[in-house]
Amino acid sequence: MSAHFIKESDFKAFVSALIKAKPVYGPTAKRSKFVFSRLESPEQLRLDYDVTLLPPKKLFFPTSQDLVRFDGDKFEACVQPEEKILFGVHFYDVKALDMTDLLFREKNPDWNYLAHRECTTLVASSIQAVAPRAFWGSVGREVQPKGHDAFLTKIQGGFVYEPRTPKGEALLKHGAFGKASDEQVAEARKANDDIKKRCPQELKKPSASIARKVRAAFDDETLWDKLAEDCFSCGSCNTVCPTCYCFDVQDVWNVDQKSGARTRTWDACLTREFAEVSLGAGAHENFRESRGERFRHRIMRKAVYLNEKLGGPACVGCGRCSSACTSDIADPVRVIEQIVKA
Amino acid sequence: MDSTCTCGEKHGKTQSNLFLPKEAKIVRVEAPTENERHFTLKLADGSPMEFEPGQILEVGLFGFGEIPLGFASSPTRKNTFDIVIRGVGRVSKALNALKKGDSLFLRGPLGKGFDLSKLRGRDVLIIAGGIGLCPTRSLIQYILDRRSEFKRFILFYGSRDPKQQLFLEDLAEWRKSKDVEYHETVDKGDPSWKGNVGVITRLFGKTNIDPGTRAALCGPPIMFKFVIAELDKLGIPRENVFVDLERRMKCGVGKCGHCQINDKYVCTDGPVFSFAEIQGLEEAV
Repeated sequence: MSAHFIKESDFKAFVSALIKAKPVYGPTAKRSKFVFSRLESPEQLRLDYDVTLLPPKKLFFPTSQDLVRFDGDKFEACVQPEEKILFGVHFYDVKALDMTDLLFREKNPDWNYLAHRECTTLVASSIQAVAPRAFWGSVGREVQPKGHDAFLTKIQGGFVYEPRTPKGEALLKHGAFGKASDEQVAEARKANDDIKKRCPQELKKPSASIARKVRAAFDDETLWDKLAEDCFSCGSCNTVCPTCYCFDVQDVWNVDQKSGARTRTWDACLTREFAEVSLGAGAHENFRESRGERFRHRIMRKAVYLNEKLGGPACVGCGRCSSACTSDIADPVRVIEQIVKA
Repeated sequence: MDSTCTCGEKHGKTQSNLFLPKEAKIVRVEAPTENERHFTLKLADGSPMEFEPGQILEVGLFGFGEIPLGFASSPTRKNTFDIVIRGVGRVSKALNALKKGDSLFLRGPLGKGFDLSKLRGRDVLIIAGGIGLCPTRSLIQYILDRRSEFKRFILFYGSRDPKQQLFLEDLAEWRKSKDVEYHETVDKGDPSWKGNVGVITRLFGKTNIDPGTRAALCGPPIMFKFVIAELDKLGIPRENVFVDLERRMKCGVGKCGHCQINDKYVCTDGPVFSFAEIQGLEEAV
């Protein structure tokens, strides 16, 4: 599909037209940080964001989502997708969404996620500011971002808009787009390549070699215990991760004590009780009892277990876990460095 | 509710929602122990429940939640199916308060059960510890119902004490039956108990077992380690040892992450695994 150009001065009108046409979600400022939220005006859109607090997965896999609603013994499913535009997603989050798409679709397709995903037009955008703990320039280089409907790149005087699907193409009618020149396309290409060299952190080795080393360290209990020594088991690293999708399911009553919903909420494998079962008489068996075991499970999930299925690691280098970790031990770059050294 | 989107597409309209259960009616309730209830069930719409021994179900009650359980009866017994619930938490206690004629709500069958093709034509040894007898009862009944398809059939059952024994009618029958070589023990006897006392591995001294035997195990995690050591001593290759595992599960369909052992999902890759498949996985037993 061909590339298009929109002038900086026409851009606000484009976003305004999108907002008028459909619900639009994009990066907005929240005090000194950024979040994905519904746009009410084009001024709220902050394409100069570095990273958002939570990844955009929350729009398809909400922090709390009803799966089944019940009233006495009557029950029904409650997938009610909303057609929307998700605008301004950085390439690392696009990669992560593509991974969760695959994981929710494989074996038993979960339409509670997929329906929301399918009716979304996903517009990726170039990175203009780099987050302090980002390493997307070096992680999983073999995995290309896909699954987005268009890619928007900031260049001198405006934006290059490259549709990749008919859904992405359909947005063109909302803005004063012209054909992008070869120079503009080249400038966009260069901007997207150059930014990758500006990450403050870097993985020194390719994914396959990291996966081998991490796998080989599986039985090194001392190493994992040491890495997890200061872990609070709070699960913040899981919560902010764009590729984490574990959940809990609980029934919640309405005040009438007759109706309610079976609801899923985000869960975190770093928490102590995540893999615990009750044996009765107050006894428990925890299949990942120690912090070291739980810490290892997360790193294995990110660097090893899913690689074959996803074509690369289940980490996209957003650096959110590094920033969110209270004791600052979650940073995959540092963890991997220590494993490789050990 | 219609899953039609505001965009007019019917995303997943033709797919059934993974979390929608089927209603089942309770045909019979028994109380084998103080904490356990043995339910005999029938699907409310009259359709048969088709499953394999070793497969699991999510059993739930709206307003309380769901728990994963194995089938406790064989698919060869067509009209009804059984589950046994130990009342340990909020959901299981709510389920155990149900009476004959009440409804509960099921998703399943889920996961992979015992690979019967690997057991047919072979000597089969089943080792069940405590409540581990429930999911293995599905296989036990299957073998007894199709006895000619299997060779020698040996069953070991261990309980904490005589009061914890489940399926008393079955046990009485198995003790007399010529179709199964049944051996039982309790960790701690009582004055009325005349049988074996001691851990389940003691039963290995009661009979000779051929190294070509296929073994199926279900019980508390601690039991696996000791039983597998005994099976190793007998020279039974680990690919012929099948373990039925229990884990925390929320979805039962390979998504929620709770039941993972390393990179395997107990709910979809198991709950029955050959021991060779999982022996390298440190978190397995």
